[in-house]
Amino acid sequence: MSTATQGTVNTQAEASVEEVEGKQQSRLAALWMQHYDLVILPLIIVLVLGLLLLYVGSRDLDTIEERVLAADNVGGLLVQHIWLAAISTVLVLVIAVPLGIVLSRRGARRAQGPVLAIGGFAQALPPFGVLLLMAFWLNFGFWTAVIGLTLAALLPVLRNTVVGLQQVDQSLIEAARGMGMTSRQTLFRVEIPLAVPVIVAGLRVALVLNVGTATLASYIGAGGLGELVQQALRLNRINVLLVAGGVIAALALLIDWLAGVAERVVVARSG
Amino acid sequence: MSETTDQTVVETPEGAGKPDMIVLEGVEKIYPGSTQPAVSQLDMAIPQGEIVMLIGPSGCGKTTTLKMINRLIEPTAGRILLDGKDVTHVNGDQLRREIGYVIQQGGLFPHFSIADNIGVVPKMLGWDKQRIRQRADELLHLVGLEPSTFRDRYPRQLSGGQQQRVGVARALAADPPVMLMDEPFGAIDPITRDRLQDEFLDIQRTVGKTIAFVTHDLQEAVKLGDKIAVFATGRLEQYDSPDTVLTQPANDFVSDFVGGGAAVRRLSLLELAHLELHPVETDEKAAGSRNGTPVVEVDGSGKPVSWRHLPGGDAAGTAMVTVPISGTVYDAVDVMLDGCASLVAVVDEEGRAQGVLHWNDLVGGLRTRKGHA
Amino acid sequence: MNFLDYLVTNSQQILFLTQAHFLVVLIAVGIGSAISVVLGLAVSSGEPDPRRFSWDWFATGIREGGLVFTAALLTVPSLALFALFLPFTGLGVTTAVVVLTIYTLYTVLRNTVAGLTTVDRAVLESARGLGYGRLRRLLTIQLPLAWPVILNGIRVTTLISISIAVVGAVVQGPGLGILLLNGISRIGAANSFYQVLAGTLLCLVVAAVFEIFFAIVQRLTIPRGIRV
Repeated sequence: MSTATQGTVNTQAEASVEEVEGKQQSRLAALWMQHYDLVILPLIIVLVLGLLLLYVGSRDLDTIEERVLAADNVGGLLVQHIWLAAISTVLVLVIAVPLGIVLSRRGARRAQGPVLAIGGFAQALPPFGVLLLMAFWLNFGFWTAVIGLTLAALLPVLRNTVVGLQQVDQSLIEAARGMGMTSRQTLFRVEIPLAVPVIVAGLRVALVLNVGTATLASYIGAGGLGELVQQALRLNRINVLLVAGGVIAALALLIDWLAGVAERVVVARSG
Repeated sequence: MSETTDQTVVETPEGAGKPDMIVLEGVEKIYPGSTQPAVSQLDMAIPQGEIVMLIGPSGCGKTTTLKMINRLIEPTAGRILLDGKDVTHVNGDQLRREIGYVIQQGGLFPHFSIADNIGVVPKMLGWDKQRIRQRADELLHLVGLEPSTFRDRYPRQLSGGQQQRVGVARALAADPPVMLMDEPFGAIDPITRDRLQDEFLDIQRTVGKTIAFVTHDLQEAVKLGDKIAVFATGRLEQYDSPDTVLTQPANDFVSDFVGGGAAVRRLSLLELAHLELHPVETDEKAAGSRNGTPVVEVDGSGKPVSWRHLPGGDAAGTAMVTVPISGTVYDAVDVMLDGCASLVAVVDEEGRAQGVLHWNDLVGGLRTRKGHA
Repeated sequence: MNFLDYLVTNSQQILFLTQAHFLVVLIAVGIGSAISVVLGLAVSSGEPDPRRFSWDWFATGIREGGLVFTAALLTVPSLALFALFLPFTGLGVTTAVVVLTIYTLYTVLRNTVAGLTTVDRAVLESARGLGYGRLRRLLTIQLPLAWPVILNGIRVTTLISISIAVVGAVVQGPGLGILLLNGISRIGAANSFYQVLAGTLLCLVVAAVFEIFFAIVQRLTIPRGIRV
């Protein structure tokens, strides 16, 4: 072996030692690079709420303001809000995901195009309008709002599921079929597991949409944190308005953050 | 910079007489975050009008070296001289406008028409529209694309081979003395690649550029290069003519890299036109001279169609195969193997037999004609 | 009185509110897109060199931080944002435009960054190899090639803005939301249902007009060589 070649081998060995050390460092760095936004969001939430408390604390509240901002009033509306969003999200999932899977079956593929197109266009259909129309059709109240929220979030989530299943690598499906899996086995063992990240993303979209639309449920007498805004506007109290806006924003950000963390855990698990 | 403009000719064994167009002096590149130089202490001179092939395993620094010449990658140390002028610290963008550059995937701008793509550098240099259009047509013609058909098309309407031709035309647009090519034919199917290589050599015969050409294909390096530079982990291991690299590798690394089959590869360096071939007769005269000379049967236009007489052989049972005299011994062996024939007729451009090459010549020693070392 | 009669009788008011809705969305999307595209262009430079401090450091920070921040803003329910801005910008058009503009930022910024950074590396390298400077590369190569992606971002954000603008009526913003609030406050009275129905459906009409508008803009502004 000539000196030139030996030299090459040595330097390569050195390089690989360095590489291993570098990789351990860069794994931490990569983890940070991938997930640093998860740290930023709680900071924003804390900042928003902190500023709000500071502001309100520095003000003398009149009796009306004190009554509206009392802990049991705000807390009750908050719980109502969470129930509205939670129930409608579960309903959306139960309806939209199976429907999306059915649409991805061979027989129903033709319906996919129209569903995607209408789903995209329906983004312009105002959830507020859907909610109000429900109130006319049924009546004012909590369950009307739940149905309205469910309907408003249905198409976006359905769209997400269909796109997710479409994006599953066709060659994997072919490989599964080639190994003798039936179309049902392929669906449950290959397609759905691979589409899980997108379905979970859809869940997140539904949750965020529903938390947002639930603020409008107060306009059909279903309560929720929108009630605070309505009261503030009615009573013309800026302090109440700011607290209401801040609490709603913080809740939405928090729920989105939780959904985001859950999403990453699921995606990491499914590789 | 007057002290550097009169760079004298560096003594190189073969480039004697030709001034060096590209000179690298002690050039080094260490990438940030790395302790190992990608290219270390490189000295290299490329004589004017020659094609130098940079070759080596991946990560050997050949591409880094190429990109340091037009300073797409800034050298960490050393000097780069272009036509005797130190360009290590001049404005990189200005410099690159004076150096042709062709890359693997063509890199054509998808939103520019073919003519606009070719006119990119002339436009930056401030040529007028009329002149740019003329130049584009001229170059399309040169690379074998009909201007009226291709001028107004867009890159995605062209095949990979056609795009690569446009890439070469674009690099030639402002008539730069130097061209850098980074595996330009790497992503193209073998048949088209072969044709592009031939065309490229034809074009080079007309334009006579100084070319640095990165490849990972030894076949390509041998076929196109006036010289081959073999790289290993940032160092230049051997810099010589293809023939020398194949027959006298400088060290174990080069001989490993060249690998087995060097003797076969070398066949493609031997041009038939330079060989002493066995004589051949056509049938008009053959009746009288039934000696040791093979005789061919020709058709109306003088092209050989079959063997009439083979000394010591079965003329009727031997397939007639031909190879153009512009080809190499490699081509001749290829047709012989393909046609299961032990000899091949070498024909000129009109298709007339000029001589015969026997299978036995390959092992018995090929004789070159006088005047061709 | 059926729905059609209602529409005909009140056509003047409905047409006015539809126009107002269209305009407020157009203005907000216009301002938001201009901000996002310019910001995207400024911060979509290469990866920063870890050894040397340069503009790329700021650019990367602003880019990543900006995307996280605007994405967070997008998850804030519109009613909350309207409420938070009301004390500062008052009842009316200003609050509506400001809030809508904020909602357009994320989608357009994301698409601008994605479009600019996913331009074929071979194209960029050959541009550099031919002597294109940074600004020239950005404006004559990256921007035209990223334009279809950017335009699609603007389109999507427009559709979203149409439904958000409805909520703007709560702070007396212009547009079809006024029909909705009127209708629900008069529930049981004559035509209150038709008012809400008209307000909701006309949002789709506004969306359709925008879709046609974007189809034309696409046709006119996407370079021929990359048109699908």
